[in-house]
Amino acid sequence: MAPEGARQHANWSPYDNNGGTVLAVAGENYVICASDTRMSTGYSILTRNYEKVDQMSPKTLMASAGFMADAQTLKKTLKARCKQYEFQNKKPIGCVSFAQMLSNTLYYRRFFPYYAFNIVAGLDAEGKGAVFTYDAVGSYERTNYSCQGSGQALIMPVLDNQLKTVSPLVLPAVSSATPLSEAAAIELIKDCFATAAERDIYTGDRVELWIMNADGVRKEEMPLRLD
Amino acid sequence: MFQTRSEYDRGVNTFSPEGRLFQVEYAIEAIKLGSTAIAIKTREGVVLAVEKRATSPLMDASSLEKIAEIDAHVGCAVSGLTADAWTMVEHGRAECQNHYFTYNEPMPVLSCTTSLCELAMSFAGEGEKRMSRPFGVALLVAGKDEDGYHLVHTDPSGTAVQYKAKAIGSGSEGAQTALQEEYRDDLTLKEAETLALKTLKAVMEEKVNTTNVDMARVAPAYVKYSDAAIQEIIDRL
Amino acid sequence: MNGPTLDFSFLDATARGSMASKHVDESLDAIDGNMHECNFKAPAVEDFEGFQREVINYVKPNHGTTTLAFIFEHGIVVAVDSRASQGPYISSQTVKKVIEINPFLLGTMAGGAADCQFWQRNLGIQCRLHELENGKRITVRAASKLLANTLYSYKGKGLSMGTMVAGWDLNGPGLYYVDSEGTRLKGQRFSVGSGSLFAYGVLDQGYKWDLTVEEACELGRRAIYHATFRDAFSGGTVSVYHVGANGWTKVTGDDVGELHFSYYPATPVDDVDAHCGGEGKKEAEARAATEASAMET
Repeated sequence: MAPEGARQHANWSPYDNNGGTVLAVAGENYVICASDTRMSTGYSILTRNYEKVDQMSPKTLMASAGFMADAQTLKKTLKARCKQYEFQNKKPIGCVSFAQMLSNTLYYRRFFPYYAFNIVAGLDAEGKGAVFTYDAVGSYERTNYSCQGSGQALIMPVLDNQLKTVSPLVLPAVSSATPLSEAAAIELIKDCFATAAERDIYTGDRVELWIMNADGVRKEEMPLRLD
Repeated sequence: MFQTRSEYDRGVNTFSPEGRLFQVEYAIEAIKLGSTAIAIKTREGVVLAVEKRATSPLMDASSLEKIAEIDAHVGCAVSGLTADAWTMVEHGRAECQNHYFTYNEPMPVLSCTTSLCELAMSFAGEGEKRMSRPFGVALLVAGKDEDGYHLVHTDPSGTAVQYKAKAIGSGSEGAQTALQEEYRDDLTLKEAETLALKTLKAVMEEKVNTTNVDMARVAPAYVKYSDAAIQEIIDRL
Repeated sequence: MNGPTLDFSFLDATARGSMASKHVDESLDAIDGNMHECNFKAPAVEDFEGFQREVINYVKPNHGTTTLAFIFEHGIVVAVDSRASQGPYISSQTVKKVIEINPFLLGTMAGGAADCQFWQRNLGIQCRLHELENGKRITVRAASKLLANTLYSYKGKGLSMGTMVAGWDLNGPGLYYVDSEGTRLKGQRFSVGSGSLFAYGVLDQGYKWDLTVEEACELGRRAIYHATFRDAFSGGTVSVYHVGANGWTKVTGDDVGELHFSYYPATPVDDVDAHCGGEGKKEAEARAATEASAMET
């Protein structure tokens, strides 16, 4: 627990926000994970081609917004742990297990958090789409759709309006799968990003969609506003 | 032969010129002094049966525990130095909970046995907490995971081998031959219970009763048999 | 001779601690929560508390809740809302704030969502290990003490948790309040969270020892509903659990929007403005309009 090495002075600020929006939607037999590709610091754009989605295992995608240095370190560590898991258990890690591992990994930095806002998207053991959404210190929840990052407050209301189903907490239980087809979900996501790019200075340039279903993973792209 | 042994059998990490680790071999011998334990795997589950040898009529047989739950989906029967067995069982329990904590899924049975074997081998390691000698215990680990049922035998050398049916302990030679003759791939769980107890009975000196045997199954969850359930199987013999 | 070696130390904190190497004391470590300590990374700063205060502004962890639990003649009722907020933003309306530790033990969640999820999960495995080692279920008293000990060891580090541990053991129903300051209280009736005062009002007014199970669940649900009505940080769905001699069951889960019609059937008052409007209100509206139009460009 004791910090090692040189102590930092009082105005030490280890964080930056690089903006960007990530989003995921789960369906009955597919899951889509999307992000824009802009990366900024303050009011300057650092790059227009930064991919925030990664494939962590055959059935798991992960997207992170926030501070990219933290997000990158986090993903690097997780990828190595996925390999370790595969060697130890002789099977690739499933998305439900990955989701728990990410939560614990974030929580172990409870006192020096990763400034990253993550979404995990994948297909569970039954082949159903699954989205897990996190806060920076590891609280997480399985949902049908989620959006994080600078465009969150713009996009989440749209998704709620289009996709909200009966809460899984309600009894008697009602099936709460996203009613949309894969093609319709892709269109909705593209619309969401186009909308966010109109009003959020940190979202733009290009949106990439990773679509995962029983056939595998494929990518789609759409240009966004460049200004 | 005896000469070379006495020179090379003291250090736990010294090979003899013939390439043998005598301390590990002696530890394996220690198991043959232990009470007999039998495990049989079927398509419906795995059955574990052990003999509880009370060395004195004044001894409380219920305090001899040779079958343990590691997690809801893994159980084990032990033979050899039981105190060593509890260290391993506790390690297995902690590892299973640890896996569940990290990955939100029950630990795969083979991963669990691997971690037990790592512990069995830790006498060769460095550090303050290492064991100074090999564990004098063999385990029959029964479990169920997404790949189906597993029955794994681990010994003091840290080797894990999967079996369809396996006997360990003092009566293991006779019992293993009997199992080999009687085992079929299409055994039901009920038939396996009978076979396990029948085989155990054949190698035991005493008459089988509810105080000198213990049984458990993993089908698909670990359940220890009550005295009444064991009596029911005894009546079937 | 000494070539470069790869540094894999960043992988060490895989699980709750790399246990393969230290078997002797592991069960003791697991009990007092030391297991995690090696994994937690602390910032290299002079002023740890100041850093924590600053970080909270950055990471905005999930917060806010109303939870309650009470013992009555036929067991325990536990009722919770389901909202999580990060500042004014509602980050989820579907949080599961009752954590099912085992079939006889429930924990509730108020404060930092990650703190509650992590430590109650940790409590769950401690209880399971206790059960395996002792061959019987852990008592509510022992379980709550395990949690309190863990939290006390992190006192002053900035954890935020207010939790109730409710369950049934050989002593009958048990209910404890445990928080991140290290407090542990045994009691009959608790409510925790930002909406707890509203819930207490309804709960204390309607509580009787000899309520039936239905009446008790109804009281819990009503208390949480009224808290969601007056506390902006509470809302979503109201979940009600009952703990009896055979363990817990989830009794109801209702969307607050639906409950509103049965719990608050107020008749609308005509022309609300006539009662509270007047000149002052118009001026305020005009001022708000000018402020809203002065946007940053």
